[in-house]
Formats: sequence, structure tokens, C-alpha cells
Amino acid sequence: MLPHPDEVQWNGTVNGEEASIFIESNAILLDVLRDKIGSLGTKRGCDMGTCGCCSVLVNGEPKLSCLTLAIDTNGADITTVEGLADGHHLHPIQQTFAEFGGSQCGFCTPGFLVVISALLSNNPQPDEREIKDAIEGNLCRCTGFQQIVDSVKAASEILVSGNVVGDSTSPKSDPHPGFGGN
Amino acid sequence: MAEEEEDSVSGDEIIGYRQQPGKLPFSRPGSGGKNRFSEATDPEKIPISQGGSLEQPWGPHRHDELVSGQIIGKPTALVDSSWKVTGRAHYGDDVRLPGELIGRIVRSPHHYARVLSIDCSKALELPGVVAIATGEDAKNRFGVLPVTKDEHAMAVEKVRHAGDLVACVAAIDEATAREAERLIEVEYEILEPIHDMRKGLDDSEEPIHDRGDYHIGESNIQKRVFQEFGDIAGMSQKSIASHKKSWLFAGVNHGFTEPHAVVANWDPSGRLTLYTPQQVPHYLHRALADVLEIPMHQINVHRTFVGGGFGGKSDPFPHEMCAAILARKSGRPVRITFDREEVYWVNRGRHPSRIEMNLHADKEGRICGIETDALIDGGAFASFGHVTTYYNGVLHTAPYEIGAFHYTGARVWTNKPASGAMRGHGAVNSRCAVEVGLDDLAEELGVDPITLRLANLLPPHSATITGFRVTSIGMRDCLERVKEESGWDKKFRKLPLGKGIGIGCGFFISGSGLPIHWDPNKFPHATVHLKVDMDGGVTIHTGAADIGQGSDTVVAQSVAEVLGLPLDMIRVKSRESDTSPVDLGSYSSRVTFMNANAAISAAMKIRDELIDATVEITGAERKGLVIGDRRIFLKSDPAVGVSYLEALHKAQEDRGALVSSGAYRTPPMGRTHKGAAAGLAPAYSFSAYVAEVTVDVETGQTKVDKVWAAHDCGKALNPLAVKGQIIGSCHMGMGQVLSEEMRYGRNGNLMNPDLLDYKIPSVHEMPEVVPIIVESNDPEGPFGAKEAGEGPLLPILPAVCNAVYDAVGVRTSELPMTPEKVFKMIEKRCRNEGVSDPTELECPSLQYSELQKTLEERGEKHKSRDKERRLDEDRGDYYNGALFGLDPSTPPDEVDPRWEVRVTPDEVYLASPRLAGSAWKHTERRHMEGTK
Ligand code: FES
Ligand code: FES
Repeated sequence: MLPHPDEVQWNGTVNGEEASIFIESNAILLDVLRDKIGSLGTKRGCDMGTCGCCSVLVNGEPKLSCLTLAIDTNGADITTVEGLADGHHLHPIQQTFAEFGGSQCGFCTPGFLVVISALLSNNPQPDEREIKDAIEGNLCRCTGFQQIVDSVKAASEILVSGNVVGDSTSPKSDPHPGFGGN
Repeated sequence: MAEEEEDSVSGDEIIGYRQQPGKLPFSRPGSGGKNRFSEATDPEKIPISQGGSLEQPWGPHRHDELVSGQIIGKPTALVDSSWKVTGRAHYGDDVRLPGELIGRIVRSPHHYARVLSIDCSKALELPGVVAIATGEDAKNRFGVLPVTKDEHAMAVEKVRHAGDLVACVAAIDEATAREAERLIEVEYEILEPIHDMRKGLDDSEEPIHDRGDYHIGESNIQKRVFQEFGDIAGMSQKSIASHKKSWLFAGVNHGFTEPHAVVANWDPSGRLTLYTPQQVPHYLHRALADVLEIPMHQINVHRTFVGGGFGGKSDPFPHEMCAAILARKSGRPVRITFDREEVYWVNRGRHPSRIEMNLHADKEGRICGIETDALIDGGAFASFGHVTTYYNGVLHTAPYEIGAFHYTGARVWTNKPASGAMRGHGAVNSRCAVEVGLDDLAEELGVDPITLRLANLLPPHSATITGFRVTSIGMRDCLERVKEESGWDKKFRKLPLGKGIGIGCGFFISGSGLPIHWDPNKFPHATVHLKVDMDGGVTIHTGAADIGQGSDTVVAQSVAEVLGLPLDMIRVKSRESDTSPVDLGSYSSRVTFMNANAAISAAMKIRDELIDATVEITGAERKGLVIGDRRIFLKSDPAVGVSYLEALHKAQEDRGALVSSGAYRTPPMGRTHKGAAAGLAPAYSFSAYVAEVTVDVETGQTKVDKVWAAHDCGKALNPLAVKGQIIGSCHMGMGQVLSEEMRYGRNGNLMNPDLLDYKIPSVHEMPEVVPIIVESNDPEGPFGAKEAGEGPLLPILPAVCNAVYDAVGVRTSELPMTPEKVFKMIEKRCRNEGVSDPTELECPSLQYSELQKTLEERGEKHKSRDKERRLDEDRGDYYNGALFGLDPSTPPDEVDPRWEVRVTPDEVYLASPRLAGSAWKHTERRHMEGTK
């Protein structure tokens, strides 16, 4: 066996659920999330802070989990892409990413989504410049960013108007009310 | 239950469903789908040819009668987008099987070396190491093209580039695997490496590969091409203006966000399942069978979600073989994931290239000759190189009508990571050179570059000089649209110093005419299976690899359209070779064209059965029946009809689920000369972009401000996805033209194998892109569609180069145009013109000559010619050459000896060949004296 660093206890809240696990003292947050917590939605694109695919929220702040020592987040409240939706109700940015082409191959998508969700919760009506500043650390090779920015604008509109995003598992509304449907 | 009963008493409220008196209550099927009722057909979605109001400026299409108005042409979210936005889409590294081992690869630190010995004993002693494999374990060669299989799972005898695979190890965790990797001792004998592609043309002591009898001399030339079409002798005699430039293009990498990853698992019945983000699962399937020496049916290739491909995940890869070998040895699942650095070592990106481009124009402003010489650096393996070598030439023989085409191309092996296919495969660099050349030529002729292009376009339904069959062509519309929307006439050569505008065009294949594994059995290129059971949902089985471009969506859309169903009733199963019919994969922009065509023909069979059933139920005449949203009814009297489910259940009587299969194969086409098949496609896409830039004359920094991007994709089946492809292509092309480069140091070491130093444009560098969709309604495309995934990349490079010239009057011959390079050119211009302050340089200007008027008139005339040709069913043939006064109805080489086709050089050429052309100085071994 290789010599392993000491195991230490790590407590935190991941997507609203409390976790208490043992990790190696030098473990990286990305590895802990993917391999121990099971958040496979958090992606590893480079492992060196250059792509933004691994972004998560630590106490509401976007962080690159590949550059974060897990132990430094002890006790923190962590949100990954899996924690953005409320049950089957998607976060507006998840909905608009699909509808406006913000996601093509989708590998960069989780990183963008968490970063943008943080932006929108601090600033529900960001202007174009603010949107670009927020996602400047995220790389997307497919979309050329334009439809991502469109998605953010559309999500912002939903947030401001207060319309809730529907439950994706329910049947769509019936054009003939009074005859079943919902 | 209560609900069901209630439904059954209020029965006749659903029109058209037969209640059977006295039978047990049975829940009525309704219309299927989430909405209970069908919606009335929207006439705006139905083509004019079918009595709707959808305009068809390019005439009717053979799929018109299949249009139900459901979904084709509507901006549509990708069918798998909800998986992606919730983080539940699983990519290569997300496949986690119980008991998995972690695999790592031992890579060569040397550029070129003989492997003398490999000692694994120390590594094997390390607790936690389960299996180790070396080249000895799998000696069969593979490669994506059957004619050039030159790769091994791991080094057999030699390593050919730094990062080449030597051995691999599987261990219980990553740390152990990495340690074991370090403990494997390899003894090398270092060989003299080749880094400069020009050296690859020379004879060498130890060529990187040995092709046996087919080896070209003792050189490192992997492939060479010589082609001459048209009146070569006349080309320079008639020319009044010429452009000549030698280009150097740096290699670029796909830069997809998901690093390669693979999981291999042998199940207890002895079958292998390989989970991998592959663009081309079928060729991997074949290669695995070869390397592992097991029959194909014993392998299930499972394509995971693919985190970007762009051509970079389309070879069968050695690491995929390694995972399978380790899993076989250890009896446990093995997962291998790459570090970002390893992605660059596998590479398969765009070839570093040296291209010499000469263009000639005659006194009538016709392009009387294109001479191209392209030397491309293949790196250590053949990969797709055979094809790339042809594509560097043949893919710029359109959209213009030309008087002569001379091409010499060579691809050499060097000790670099292999180059391969990348978005715009083989066409990008030489296209850039042609379009920049045309800009220069226009300047020399004193004409507007857009006018020059508009006066030299091939018409619809014509043949290029190389004999490619062009069907639909929307090039003219693309040019006119970008010209108008960009305000070209007010800006071109009129903007202040440092501001510029430029044009570039593109032409690309929509699928390749011959499959890679050309098979005399005439297998189809694409096959789609459908299954529809009682629930009404349609299951599509297809092997098309969705790599984020939306192929699942387009296939689902096609089926939904033909059957008149909402998209949520369609499910696509495209993952596993066990269940999917063979599809050749996502390369050469073939998927929409071929797969959607196959899907349509499969859906037509189901549609026929539904209509038959409707006839049986209603007694209506078959001819008048149409399909709308989940309803089949008489067009003349929509009240007469049945719901989709009712028809389906009738059709299912006595036989159960409806199943069908549809296939697509390209029609016979093309010429017969050597290499005639390369570049053949059932259709071609066209594009024209205008870019506006700002160049800081004092620093050389170029910023692209805005791009008007018109692309002829035939018909946008999903406009949202088409726009996404156009914008994404602009982004990728902008990277290549301004900042991206695989930088090799003096000793051949790759200096920037990471995303920090390999500079992909960020959101801040990205200009506003105005995507303009041009729909030329291709006669053979599915609902008229052609490709939109690769072609849109081509025009951005030359458009930016030409805009930089318009801004500061310098023309680059090297990409990327980094600020240093632009600044050096500005400095040089200052020196030449005796200007001390670059801000005082003069803006380039253009005085129109008389030719401008002639060309404008010719353009107008051709415009009406084109319109006539596209609408006239009885149009005659049109061969390239008619513009030069030849009879359009016969291939010129058949009647005019000057137009003879040549595919080998003569003595005269060999006396003073160009760079790549000098590859022909060598003799193939089989033709050498002393051998056979
Ligand atoms: S994986 Fe963390 S930034 Fe790329
Ligand atoms: S969607 Fe593919 S990298 Fe962003």
C-alpha cells in the first residue's frame, strides 16, 4: 500500500443534505464531491483551474472545486448542479439553458449553471457586461457563449416576472379545460 | 379505475374512436401525448405545394407531402437537454461500475525511440496493482482508415512521439496507479526525431513507419496527391492578375471540454462492454475486434454522452484498447480518464500546414486558375490523413467556376502527436488561403471582392471541375444577405485606420459519398429502426452518435414530423451497438443528411400502415388522407378521421407492435480518376461571412467586433441548433485565426498542453454573431436539409484576415495572427512607406476599374440563370467550364484535350516541383529497381 495521508472528518451540507464523511487530509473538493458524495454532475475538465467545469457554490460563492482543498470547506454549505432544481421544478436558468441553446454537448453546463445561479441570486437583472464578467472563467467550446448569454437574459426575465417553472414530469396543460388534464 | 369508468360512460365525446357496444369497458386511447386533443394544423407550416402557405422560393421538395406541421423548422430544445441541465448526463468518466479499477498509461518521454525492454516487476510488487499490459499483449495494428492501419494499443518496437503509449496499469485507486506508472522501467534507444515537416519529405535512416512495398522511397511521406484539371497551360497565358502567397498554419487542437475517458467491462458471459465518449462507435467496434481478436458480436460499444468531439473523438484510440486489455486481464471493470495534458498528446487536431496558393484571373474577371501546394504535418500516425491530403485540394474547387486547378499535396509523418480530423476537416486552411487570395485578386483587378465572387459562382445542379455533383447552392443568397445586412457598401475600404471589414466564403461536404470502410456489399450509410407499441410512443433505434450537435433531436424531429406526433412521444435509443443498427458515425457532417433520411424512410413505412388502418376504419379514400397532430383525417373534410392511437391499435391487430427499418445510401456519382471519391458528397453546404474588426495599430491587437454569418444549410430542421452551430463555429475559427496554436519548442517539445497557454477565446473576446440561415431546399436532403456543423467554420478565418487588411493594410501569411505578428507587419509597412508613426499610415483604398461594371452585370445575369435552373425540372447538365466558353452539357475533358485530367506529374513538373510536389521525386519501393 502507498502511504496515505491521515483521514480526517469532513462535515458539510451538500445540496441541502448533511454529510459527514472521512476524507484524506489533502483531498481536493472536486474528488470528494465526485467520488465520495456522488455528485457526478460536477465535471472535471482540466483539474487546474482553467475551464470552470468543476464550479460549485461554497456558501453561495462560486468556487473552482478542483483548486479547493476539501478540508477548507469543512462545515460549509455546498451547492452543485444537482442542487439547483427544486424536486422536479427546474431553476429558471436550467429551463432557459435548454430552450435557448445554452447547452450543446453539455459538459461545461453544470459549471455555467452554478455560476449563473449565484449571479442571478445576487443580481436578478444583470446587464450583458455583468453576465459576461460572471462567466469569464468558464470555457465553452461548443456554443460560442452567445446562446448562454441569451439564456441568462431569459432566466432573468422569468425571475423578475415571478413566473414559476413547471414540473417537468406533469402532463402539459390542457387546451380544453374541464376535460381532465391539469 | 373509477376514472376509467367515468371515461367510458362519457364515451362519444372523443370523436372518431369506435365504442363497441356490449364489450367490456376499455379505457379509450385518446389521441396520445400529454395534451388530450389534437391541435388544428397550422397552414403556415405546410408547404405551398401541399396547399399550405409556407413559401417555397426554391420549388417543391420530395418530402413535402410528409410534412405534418409538427416540429420541422421550429426552434427546438435538444431532446436530451434536461439531462444535461440537471447534471444527470453521464459522460465517459461518470460511468462507475462496482469493483472498478483505475487505469493509467505509461507514456514515452522521448520523441522517437526504440523500446529495448520494459520491466514491470517493481510495479507488480506494489500492493494494489492488479494488472499491467504492454505492447506484447496486443500486437495487431489498427487505424480509422483500413488502408492505413499504423497504430498499436501500446508501443510495439518503437515509440513515435512524446506521449506515445508504452504500457498501462490497473490498480485499486488512482494514487496507486500513478505510483505504479512511475515504477515501470523502460529502457529506450533514442532515435533521431523529425520535427520539421519539410524534413519529412527527405529520405531518412529510419522512417517513422514502414509501409513495405508501398513505402515512398525511404522518406516519411505518408500520402501524396497530384491532380490537374482544366486548361493548365492556358492558366498563366490568359492571366492578367495573379496572387501568390506561401502560408504557414499552426496546428490547432479541438479543445473539447471533456477529456477522453473510457470504462471497459467484461461480463460473466465473456462479452465486453466499452463505455466511451466516441463520435464514431462503429469503427471503434471493428478495431476492438481486430485488436482483441474476438468477434464483433462479442462486443457492445456503449457511447456515453460526449463532451464535445469536433473530430477529436473519432479515431479508435489506443487507450480504449488498453482499458479493454486491462479489464480482460484483471477480470474487473477498468476506468481510464485523461489528464488535460494527455488530451494534447492524443491530439488528432488540425494539421500544421505549409500551403502555397496561387490564383489567376483573366481579363474578364474569371478565375482562370488555382494552383495549390499543401504540405501537411501528420504527426506520428496516419489517422484520417489519407483523406485530409485530398481535402486540402479538392474542397476548394467550388463554389467558383474555375478554368484550371492544379493541386499537389503531401502528408508526412513527424515525431509529434498525430494530427487528424477536426471540424472543417482538411478544408479550413486552404480555404483561408483561397479566400484571402481572392480578396487580393479583386484588389488587383480593381473590383469589389463580393462582386468578383458573385460573378464567378457555379449554378445549381452543376458539376465542379473535379466532377463533384453540386445540387442545391445557396451561395449567392448568402453573399447578398451578408452584403446587405453588414452595410458592406458603406464600409468596405471606407472605414478609418484600425477599423476594417472583410468577406470570406466556404464550401463543405454534407456527408461523404463513400463510407470509410468501403464495402462492396453495398451496406447503407445509415439505418434507423422504429418500434411503435400500444402506448403510442415511438422508439427510435439509431447508431448516430449525438456529440452535442443534436443528432438525437434531429432524428426524433424527423420521425415526429412524418407521424404527426409531439416530440415527447418519441424516445431515441442511440447508445449501444447491441441495440442500434450500424451507423457510420458523426464525421464529415453526415448525420443530419443521412440519418434523418433513413429515419424518414422508416417513418414512412409506419405512416403507410397508419393510413391503411384509417382507410379500413373510415372507408375514406386513401389518397385524400393526411396526418396532422395525432390525427389522420381527410384533407377535404377534417371531421372525417381517426385519432393516431385508434389507427395504431387497428394496425396492431393480430400482429402487435409496428416495426420498421429505413436506410440511406448515397446515389452513384462522381468520376473515375484516382482519388475521385475524396470530397464526393450527396450535397454541399455554402456559407459567406462578413467580419468587422478593430486593430490597434500600436500594439497589433485584433478584436473582432461583429460577424454576419450566412450559411446555406438547405433547410433548418432545428433553427436553434443551426444558429448554435454557426456561432460555435465562429468561436472556434476565431481561435485559430487569432490565438490558438499548438506551440512546439526548438527541441520539438509541446510547450502548451493546457487550457491556460493554449488560448481559446473567452466570452470577452467573442464578437456579436448575427447568424443568417439560408435555405436552398436540397432535393435529396431530409426535408431539404444539408449540414450545418462544419461548413460554418470555414469563412471566419479569411473574413477576419481580409478585415485586418482593410483595417491596417497588411496581409498575414501565418496563423494565428497574434498581436506580435500583426505588429511586426505594421512595423514593416511603416518602414517600407517611410512612416514613423503607425497611426499615420494610410488606409487601404480601392479604385474600381471598368471590370467592376462587367462583373456586376455578369452577376445579375447569373442570378437569373441560377433561378431558372433551380426551378426548371428539365434543366440540362452544367459542367464547370461553360463560363470559359465550353459546351456546358459535356465534361470538358471528354471533348477538349487541354482539359485532360492528370493524376501523376510529368518530367517537366518534376524538374522544378513545389514543396509538397517534391514528394513525387521519390519512387514507391515496389517500383524501384531490384524489387518487384
Ligand atoms: S476542472 Fe476545475 S477549472 Fe477545470
Ligand atoms: S456545451 Fe459543449 S463545451 Fe459548452
